[in-house]
Amino acid sequence: MLNKTMHETRTTLLLTGLALLSLFFSRPAQALTCRVSPDKVPIGLNYHGATLAVSGENKAGDDMIIRITNDKGEAHYKYIGKAGGLVWMKKGDVSFTNVPGVYLLFSSGDLEHLLGSEERQANQIGYDAMKEAAEMETGSPELQGASPRWKDEFIRFKEKQKLYAIHPGAVTRQHGRDSDTYQLEVAWPYQAGPGTYSVEAMAVRDGKVVEREQTRFTVQQAGVVKQLSGLAFNNASIYGIMAVLIAIFAGFAVGMIFRKGGGGAH
Amino acid sequence: MYMYLPIALSSVNYLLIIGLGLAVGLLSGLFGVGGGFLMTPLLMMAGIPPTIAAATDANQIVAASASGTYAHWKLGNVDFKMGLFLLIGGFLGGAVGVQIIKILRASGGADFLIKMTYVVMLGVVGTFMFFESLHAMRKNKNSGTAKARSVAPAEKKKGFFAMLPLQTYFEKSGVTHSALVPLFLGTFVGILAAIMGVGGGFLMVPVMIYMLRMPMHVVVGTSLFQIMFTCVEVTFLQAYSNHTVDFLLALLLLIGSVFGAQIGTRLSKKLHGEQLKILLAIIVLAVTVKIVLELVMEPSMLLAVQGGH
Repeated sequence: MLNKTMHETRTTLLLTGLALLSLFFSRPAQALTCRVSPDKVPIGLNYHGATLAVSGENKAGDDMIIRITNDKGEAHYKYIGKAGGLVWMKKGDVSFTNVPGVYLLFSSGDLEHLLGSEERQANQIGYDAMKEAAEMETGSPELQGASPRWKDEFIRFKEKQKLYAIHPGAVTRQHGRDSDTYQLEVAWPYQAGPGTYSVEAMAVRDGKVVEREQTRFTVQQAGVVKQLSGLAFNNASIYGIMAVLIAIFAGFAVGMIFRKGGGGAH
Repeated sequence: MYMYLPIALSSVNYLLIIGLGLAVGLLSGLFGVGGGFLMTPLLMMAGIPPTIAAATDANQIVAASASGTYAHWKLGNVDFKMGLFLLIGGFLGGAVGVQIIKILRASGGADFLIKMTYVVMLGVVGTFMFFESLHAMRKNKNSGTAKARSVAPAEKKKGFFAMLPLQTYFEKSGVTHSALVPLFLGTFVGILAAIMGVGGGFLMVPVMIYMLRMPMHVVVGTSLFQIMFTCVEVTFLQAYSNHTVDFLLALLLLIGSVFGAQIGTRLSKKLHGEQLKILLAIIVLAVTVKIVLELVMEPSMLLAVQGGH
């Protein structure tokens, strides 16, 4: 009886050990990772955008989608229409809500081939999904019922500002024995203002997003740019007086230099 | 090659901006105009938001007009007395114009009125100056009196103006007017300038030439003197109330414009008054045509950031 109990206990321990081992080894060979470098982008005097390197490991064979965006919010514009059937004028206000300020999407292949429409919708991937989630608000009767057209116009406007873009095939992968690595080089636009941005890596397999990982980076003003911006907004009167005095001084100084140069005689 | 602008939140090629400043400063020294009606659209084309472009332009005009005023003062071309009366009128008109714009904005349709005022004023002023200068040039050629350092048109047909009180002799300009005339004309230009959102140099110059009958070269110096003070006021108010003055952008522009103004002033001595007028008329008409085309042709983008004209 005792032997039987001991045998059962041994068997239970063995099975538990095996189960734990199998659990350990059944973890994906390599979990999805995501890194961005640099994670702090300083806006200095010579800033003209930056180059970001996004990289990580993913399970062998998976396709990758990288989305760089910031918190959703509101965007306010004037819309331009024809007045009196003759001239093009700013006619009224139009706002878009639940839209990000920046939306940059990169993938290792064509989005339509990687994911079906429903999956793209569910994961907010692509302009169609974004338009579906966005709301348009306007007090102008002529824009009522025309929101799809104006949402398209909004995306066109953002693309022109280089704040929205979709780059299929931009993510490159290197196949390893157990896992792959992916790399992406992003030309970060100077038009994107200071703030915190998220970089989200999504692994795609068999038409589904199967794994996701996220990291963040910040863009912030530094040096002279930060000091001048602070002065303009926090000490506006001193900033205004400084701007005027330096302009007057520069004007008169150059006037005097030219005169000394001999060009200004009667 | 690039500089980041902390208020415009934009990165610009600084050589391009200095070049723009140089070109517009040259026009400023040459014609006595601030150049706001040219610079603001040019800055917008370089990617600067409209409100920042207009306010910062006023800041750089302070430098260009100070440089030009100094150069013209040394040449004896500034009528300070006349400039002061015009300035007082301009400040009064500016205050009235701002109130008119407030009422128009509240009632809607202000943008349309602003654009149409632009087209009509620029068109009328440009066309009148062009044909008047052309006529004068032909006349000078025919009579063989081509040494046309512009001379004030004969003081005739003053009629109503001569009957007004406070008749004052303006020595530098060599004209006699009631002090009320420059005050009234300054107010009129100030109102229009405030509605159109510009310094008003391109309006003030023809007013001085054709209504106050001042000599062309005194007109340029006096106009710059008046513009300098107007733009000091605008720069401070925009920086203080709206935070729309980008000092770094203004600095780049003024590096170009102060030198441009000096070159323009020297060039103006080499050109005859009628030639200066016809050149200014051509530039004003070209800007008018550009605005008309913008009005009638469908823009590439049907959304615009809020603010600005």
